[in-house]
Amino acid sequence: MEKNKTNSTGDTAKDRVNRVDPYGFERPEDFDYESYEELMSEYLVVLTQRSIKWSKLLKSKRKVQRNVKLKRYIRKGVPNEHRALVWMAASGAQEQLEKNPGYYQALLGAQHDPKLVETICTDLNRTFPDNVQFRKTSNPCLQKALYNVLLAYGHHNAAVGYCQGMNFIAGYLLIVTKDEEKSFWLMDALLGRILPDYYSPAMLGLKTDQEVLGELVRVKSPRVWKAMMDHNVMWTLVVSRWFICLFIDILPVETVLRIWDCLFYEGSKILFRVALTLIHHYRDLIEQAQSLPDICQIFKQITRGAFVEECHPFMQKIFTEPGSLSIATLTKLRAACRARVIAEEAE
Amino acid sequence: MSRKKALKGKGTTKNPKGSPSGGGGGGGGRTGKGLAAGASPTSGLVYPSRPSISSSGEFYDIAFKVMLVGDSGVGKTCLLVRFKDGAFLAGSFISTVGIDFRNKVMSIDAVKVKLQIWDTAGQERFRSVTHAYYRDAHALLLLYDVTNKASFDNIRAWLTEIYEYTQQDVVVMLLGNKADSNHDRVVKREEGEKLAKEFGVPFMETSARSGLNVELAFTAVAKELKHRTMKEPDEPKFQLQEYVSKEMRTAGCCRS
Repeated sequence: MEKNKTNSTGDTAKDRVNRVDPYGFERPEDFDYESYEELMSEYLVVLTQRSIKWSKLLKSKRKVQRNVKLKRYIRKGVPNEHRALVWMAASGAQEQLEKNPGYYQALLGAQHDPKLVETICTDLNRTFPDNVQFRKTSNPCLQKALYNVLLAYGHHNAAVGYCQGMNFIAGYLLIVTKDEEKSFWLMDALLGRILPDYYSPAMLGLKTDQEVLGELVRVKSPRVWKAMMDHNVMWTLVVSRWFICLFIDILPVETVLRIWDCLFYEGSKILFRVALTLIHHYRDLIEQAQSLPDICQIFKQITRGAFVEECHPFMQKIFTEPGSLSIATLTKLRAACRARVIAEEAE
Repeated sequence: MSRKKALKGKGTTKNPKGSPSGGGGGGGGRTGKGLAAGASPTSGLVYPSRPSISSSGEFYDIAFKVMLVGDSGVGKTCLLVRFKDGAFLAGSFISTVGIDFRNKVMSIDAVKVKLQIWDTAGQERFRSVTHAYYRDAHALLLLYDVTNKASFDNIRAWLTEIYEYTQQDVVVMLLGNKADSNHDRVVKREEGEKLAKEFGVPFMETSARSGLNVELAFTAVAKELKHRTMKEPDEPKFQLQEYVSKEMRTAGCCRS
């Protein structure tokens, strides 16, 4: 392996850093190994600290209890070795799994809707082709697990069935939990309780939350909102993927997982915090946009670079940069926007 | 305010010139409301004497909005990447969620035409999110997969939806993609031709993998749109159908 050439004098970050990240994703051609190494040297200190603290916490408690301390711990990041456990506990997925023994297997054993099967299969090869764990040749191959989880979920929640985007979510859950049944119950927690109805055929929850984000931007970054109005940009154009994919393939993997730590504990509010932070942080850039395509380009651009790569400071920022965001405000905005979306669709 | 309503209400009158792009030109284009406000294809977007610069820094004279639509997995993104970058990397694509776009500037009869190409998610439920974008599209490339009968059977439904949400003079072209897949083919070329004829739209088979007719599909659309906008009074109308039949190559045939 190239990364073992440590004693030669001429080796570079590219020689030292693995070509595949810890989650199985191949690093892109233009990956900046130098910056990554620099970033990791700092982040590893954080990770080690957090790991020690979490080990202590989990040793002293028999069960993961929701409280202020846990919330604080989660915001600072769950070490990857504890992610499955903490996500399962925080989201209520563990409880469901224990209450319904054999349910997942029974879903897989039952007769399958051929249409659902076909829809899922269309996306199997199109889910993380850049991840070695999803290759047909890898062992275990997560592609088969992905198929099972999506199929079981589609039957479990027939009203939703399968919606594109769920493939990426199930894929991440499998990468983290390495367990089909846990991934299934985490899907159930996300789609059934944590998120509004983003994935149902009418996609009403998605349409609503896009508008809610618009309203929040209007208050928190009014000039961005004005730029969006001036160029006639529908929010769906720039943020639908953010909501549907829960930032997968939009933000760096590590950052996404840190966001999900909070998502499972604190709920869908966190998605707005992330979106608002990105928009507010880059408000000057967005305001300077000259056209609709310009804005689209900028919204892609702001999801890359050091600001989002440095996940630890980024996660601190999302709780400060957008200012206060209460559940009450969100509930009220959601009700108003939902009514508006429904009224417009009825026109 | 949701944008949808604004679009519905104000329609095309507000912005006679359209606003193709950013920057360079100054004046005219920038006062408008952007492409989404929907100048009609024939009414504007013309800046022959005042070249604009796109966000990628390329100069262009006129810009048009083209949408790629069709069932999930028919190869919309692959077709676009083949056209944009000339590449086809098997197994490197991920499902498109929502809507995305790429620009490409082409030279059509010495005019720089920028195609702003919108790639959409194929799954049915996403259509209610994306069809708001049909209304100001100048052209739609409607794809099916010659190895997937259902994607072909759905073309009628797609056309119905397209005509419901687009402007009347939108350019529609039907493309049977994956034409290189001889063994798995289930839709004959003649079936595609027949359906296209029934709806009066140009048709060709394409392959993002081999590159067959990919450039042509976009060139034909660009030519048609350019002629519509910049035609001299005495110049004959551009015959899109004729052009396509003349230039088109067929899959697995000696003509290529």
